[in-house]
Amino acid sequence: MKRQKSKILICSSLTSQTKAQLKIQQMVFMLLAVTLFFVLVGMLVLALRFAGIKESATEIEEKNAMLLVTRIANSPEFSCGNAFGKSRTNCIDADKVMMLKKNIDKYDNFWGRETNIEIRKIYPKGNVVCTIRNYPDCNLINLQSEEIHAEHSNFVSLCRKDLINGEVYDKCELAKIMVSYKDWREVQK
Amino acid sequence: MMIKKKAQEELIGFALIIILVAIIGLIFLGFSLKNSQKEIVESYEVESFIQAFLQYTTDCGNYRENYLPIQKLISACVDDKTCLDERDSCDVLSSTLTGIIEESWKVDGDRPIQGYELKIVLEDGTEVIPLISKGNSTKNSKGVLQPFMPLGENYEIYFTVYY
Repeated sequence: MKRQKSKILICSSLTSQTKAQLKIQQMVFMLLAVTLFFVLVGMLVLALRFAGIKESATEIEEKNAMLLVTRIANSPEFSCGNAFGKSRTNCIDADKVMMLKKNIDKYDNFWGRETNIEIRKIYPKGNVVCTIRNYPDCNLINLQSEEIHAEHSNFVSLCRKDLINGEVYDKCELAKIMVSYKDWREVQK
Repeated sequence: MMIKKKAQEELIGFALIIILVAIIGLIFLGFSLKNSQKEIVESYEVESFIQAFLQYTTDCGNYRENYLPIQKLISACVDDKTCLDERDSCDVLSSTLTGIIEESWKVDGDRPIQGYELKIVLEDGTEVIPLISKGNSTKNSKGVLQPFMPLGENYEIYFTVYY
């Protein structure tokens, strides 16, 4: 009887120990599985993030160009100020811009790296690039003298002083100011 | 046996919940990483266009100034004045604005711009010049109302671009 009782006691303590060990093992496996799962998900997220880094860089450049194009006409380098009577909004002084073009090397990277600015007359239309020789009988002022690819644009009034019958008057035309930005997606690997 | 089965069931249930939460999280992440595309026509473009064309110097002269900008030509049209070369100021205004808008907002072919409308009205709603429009109206549009008051008179310019 006593032997049987002790056998039963030993068996039951062994069973409960085994149960506890099993439970611990189960928990450890579960924790390992969960951790591994989250590590895999994290790696997937990182892979997706870095796959779009060129697009993100281009997006940032594009946003900068868009902000610049809405404000640049009112900056001191471009704005008409009080030269054409009262202060005008979105007015660019063409004479000032031509002088700026002549000294553009002093404004290297001033508006951002690899940013070019072009002012194109919309009306009347034309494709003649402005130089000191042909100004003002021209239509396009390209500050860096480089072709523009990706760009944001805005309408401006392009004003200058003109002569008629020996009298100076203000002549304003409709133009578009275009600010280019670097498209990182086009950069070769 | 029953206890073992219960534990296994609980484990599977827990794993399923984690997988479900992770999938939902990935979907939200995908939406947040999606780049917003640039609008075909921005509001600032339409606003700047009106401000710029109001300053455009026309070839209609008067006795005080050599040539009138659009802003003053509108007033001249309302006052029924003629240019120095005897042309009607309203005709010059209408033709100049039509030319400006046609060059600025191209509607032909497969271009993204589908149409536009320009209306200049007095305070009482009277049109200064006939409506200038081209193309079709669509449900996507960007429009601006520009009021201005030269010499105490109230005018309103409505310009809408459809895309």
